[in-house]
Amino acid sequence: MNSVQKLLSSDETIISSHEVSLVQGWMRSSKHLIILEKNRDLRGLLVVSETVDYALPIDSDFKFDVDSESKSKNVGDVFISISYQKQKLLFEMLPPSKANTFINELLRAMEYQSRRKTAGDYSWLKKYSKKTDLSLENQGVVMDASKLLLDYNEHIPRHSVARGAMQPVAARDSVIKYQMGMMEDQYTYTQGIQIFIGTWNVNGQSPSCSLSDWLSITTDPPHVYAIGFQELDLSKEAFLLNETPKEGEWLRAVTKSLHPGAVYKEICLVRLVGMMLIVFVEENLAQRVDHVVCDTVGTGFMGKFGNKGGVAIRMDLEMTSLCFVNSHLAAHTEEYERRNQDFHVIASSISFNGFLPPKSIKDHDQIYWLGDLNYRITDLDLMRVKNLINQGQYETVLEHDQLKRQHDLGHVFSGYKEGPIHFRPTYKYDVGTDEWDSSEKARAPAWCDRVLYRGEDIKQLVDYKSIPSLKISDHKPVIALFNSDIRIIDMNKYRKKLEEVMKRLDKVENEFLPQVMVDMNDFNFDTLRFLEAQSKTLIIANTGQVPVRFEFIKKCDDSNYCKDWLRIEPYTGFIDPGDKCDVKLVVYVDKRCASKINSGQDKISDILVLHLEGGKDLFITVQGTYERSVFGCSIETLVHLNVPLREISPDKLKELERSRDSSSVSTYSVPKEIWFLVDHLYRNGLKQQNLFEHPGLPSEVLLIRNWLDTGSTDPIPGSVHSVAESLLLLLESTAEPLIPYNLHEACLTASTSYLQCKQIISSLPLHSKNVYLYLCSFLQELLSHSDENGLDGKTIATLFGQIFLRDSPRSRNDPSARERVNQTKARKKASFVYHFLVNDFSDLISPVHVS
Amino acid sequence: MAKDYDHLFKLLIIGDSGVGKSSLLIRFSDNTFSGNYITTIGVDFKIRTIDIHGEKVKLQIWDTAGQERFRTITSTYYRGTHGVIVVYDVTNGDTFANVRRWLLEIENNCEVVNRILVGNKNDDPQQKVVLTEDAQRFANQMGIQLFETSAKDNINVEEMFMAITHQVLQKKKEERDRQKSTQDTVHVGKYQKSSGKKKCC
Repeated sequence: MNSVQKLLSSDETIISSHEVSLVQGWMRSSKHLIILEKNRDLRGLLVVSETVDYALPIDSDFKFDVDSESKSKNVGDVFISISYQKQKLLFEMLPPSKANTFINELLRAMEYQSRRKTAGDYSWLKKYSKKTDLSLENQGVVMDASKLLLDYNEHIPRHSVARGAMQPVAARDSVIKYQMGMMEDQYTYTQGIQIFIGTWNVNGQSPSCSLSDWLSITTDPPHVYAIGFQELDLSKEAFLLNETPKEGEWLRAVTKSLHPGAVYKEICLVRLVGMMLIVFVEENLAQRVDHVVCDTVGTGFMGKFGNKGGVAIRMDLEMTSLCFVNSHLAAHTEEYERRNQDFHVIASSISFNGFLPPKSIKDHDQIYWLGDLNYRITDLDLMRVKNLINQGQYETVLEHDQLKRQHDLGHVFSGYKEGPIHFRPTYKYDVGTDEWDSSEKARAPAWCDRVLYRGEDIKQLVDYKSIPSLKISDHKPVIALFNSDIRIIDMNKYRKKLEEVMKRLDKVENEFLPQVMVDMNDFNFDTLRFLEAQSKTLIIANTGQVPVRFEFIKKCDDSNYCKDWLRIEPYTGFIDPGDKCDVKLVVYVDKRCASKINSGQDKISDILVLHLEGGKDLFITVQGTYERSVFGCSIETLVHLNVPLREISPDKLKELERSRDSSSVSTYSVPKEIWFLVDHLYRNGLKQQNLFEHPGLPSEVLLIRNWLDTGSTDPIPGSVHSVAESLLLLLESTAEPLIPYNLHEACLTASTSYLQCKQIISSLPLHSKNVYLYLCSFLQELLSHSDENGLDGKTIATLFGQIFLRDSPRSRNDPSARERVNQTKARKKASFVYHFLVNDFSDLISPVHVS
Repeated sequence: MAKDYDHLFKLLIIGDSGVGKSSLLIRFSDNTFSGNYITTIGVDFKIRTIDIHGEKVKLQIWDTAGQERFRTITSTYYRGTHGVIVVYDVTNGDTFANVRRWLLEIENNCEVVNRILVGNKNDDPQQKVVLTEDAQRFANQMGIQLFETSAKDNINVEEMFMAITHQVLQKKKEERDRQKSTQDTVHVGKYQKSSGKKKCC
């Protein structure tokens, strides 16, 4: 826009602009269309991206079409195709809802142009476009569809696509139509058909004789008839009310006299006062006629009445558009300029609705113009004319024919042709005879009744003649026979091409789906151990044409996109084409998940779903072998373990975990692992400052883990702090806390009453109760040395409260569990434990307990 | 936005690993075939638009991993499917024997769905072990149309996809007509039967 505004001269203004997508081949790119006006007169259209791509004069070569598909659907995409000198550009209007305003402006510009009498000078447009030649061809935008299909890979500007400047085409209907239009030659063929054109000024007479001599003189039946009449009815009623019984009379007469060798269907009849035009098409061919529209225009009395003027019918026969015009131009020898003017008015005023913009006569492949054109013979003596005609020297006379002269001068019917005239003038005869007008006026003979044509592929046959044997009028009827090529769709080829185009579009769409490659689909982790992280890298490479957003997504009913022993970093991201992203997969079994793996409820095996937005999903398998540890074992399992954990199979462990038998006779009353750790602390840590508060060394914790799992007979490795931390970790890694979740509510309620607290403890499963009381005894012992170790009961109670009454993982994730609530809870848990740090609970210890 | 198609159907290709599901899809969407076997680990889709009596039908065809270990996950992709293509390998009897399981899989995950049975790799009579008669008898028994195809030699692939698409399209039209006629009667609303199955198709 700015680039255009800078170039605007003071007498140039922007009338309207609209955002569009230019469809080129299989791609589209963002543009603006701008209508410019100069000097309140000439208009031009600019196609603008960053600079002006094309500057097109809106002159007689400028045409545009609104895609009929979108027209009929009302809502939806609006496509317009703009053509200039046979070249075509397709635009998608964005947004479609506002396209109307712009289209109306474009229509107005074209309407204005069509009313101009002289061609304008559009050189002012050249400053906008770098190229001085305005034809699209020279600006390198002609799209050879066949080439596009073949070299399709080269035609996708992949770099532009990657930057987002261009996108693959989407809205198919218009694009398919456009692509198919480009390849018309490949699925159409031509077929010659015979077109019969007849014209007769019947001077207000009724059809009192057969018309076969006129309409049925060819050997083979014509395929199409276009028959025009003038002066069908000269009465006042016909003139004023445009109603006449003659219409039906003549229609019947014509219908009866058509070639008997074929059956015809009346396609359209149009009449304005005395001018009538009827089109018939042979029955089989008639099925292929479409978009039949007619229009009339009066140029007679006052310049607009229907005593003179034209009527016209247009239709599509297969792929070829045909237009038939029947006109009756101004009379009187000297009025040839009026006749020229009438022609121009008819040519520019006839407008066929049902198209946007409406089609005019010139917008057709083939035009047949017939009628009483009323041009006379001038500058030649009447007697000489008659003599020359009697001698058959038509050529000499025709040199003085006004139509020939005006045509040669380019004043009328420019671009039209007429076949050679080898017949007597058709006007004016005494009715009922072949004698020239013998009345007072003694009108000079003239070729008033003519047939001209315009368009490619029309061959006039020798049969351009008049029919003297029909004598009811002062004019003789005229016929012209044409052999015209009609473009026909080969349905088989068409379907094949259509399929090809759709396949190509599908291919583009498929190619533009996000695509990635991963370096590995299977990740195997060997010998994973408790609290030892291992990581591997997954490389995701964008091998497609478009940027990719990936995300690991939840599968089935899972609550998360991966198991809780796995971390994916990052789990979502964006990769440009040609780029890659390293994703770290970290496996880490900690206190949260160890128990589930020990019990077989979970295993180191997960299938990750790597989802590409708008595209496919890839499965990534993560597996590993886990070396089980006492961490994560339940108290019940541990008391039954009479060998080191390493010596029992995972299956045996699973079985133990599953049975969790607290009643059967166990090897130990408290797990030996707990006993080892507590005993170590009892011997070495009673006087240790900050015991349980000072963290241990992670490496020492791992050594202690190995020491416990292997049942080593060496002394426990590591510092007392590491041993203390291991003890806490062991208690935290169990599936359920020492006091099971279902008793937590009761514990919190009972926390103010030692008696109630004791009742809860006495109801615990035997082994849990043993461990609880054992640990509390130890803690009492520890606190009895508070002078040396500086520990106080409140702190220890708070710490162990959190461990004995550990919250469930679900409640920990609960966002409603606010900080204050948690503090209250923590205080109550501490009070619960505190009772057992300051009171004697020997009455709870069962007699079988062996320390 | 105006739709660029008259119908959009989701088709799903299932069957044992290695029977040629991806090859069938690539033959249909790209008209190519590669002898290199790359096992599909995940689910992928391609689109193709076909013209059926002047109506544009856009197919979104999902190709699934056939490996046993992915079965639970792939079953979640049955959701919204209009037609399922069950593929076996005519040169491998086990894959044909497993068709029953795949059909069961469909039944468990979809309520009403169009199905088609496809014996792929039908290009070498020497190798063929699943006889056409046996497959046809089974197909008749299950009320499914059978196609024997070769993605490699491009035999019957187009026809098979067309057949399932026609089937889906016809079902859709029947459904629409039925809804129209039930709307005209007093039994509106009573028609829907309740079902314990997951409603996804």
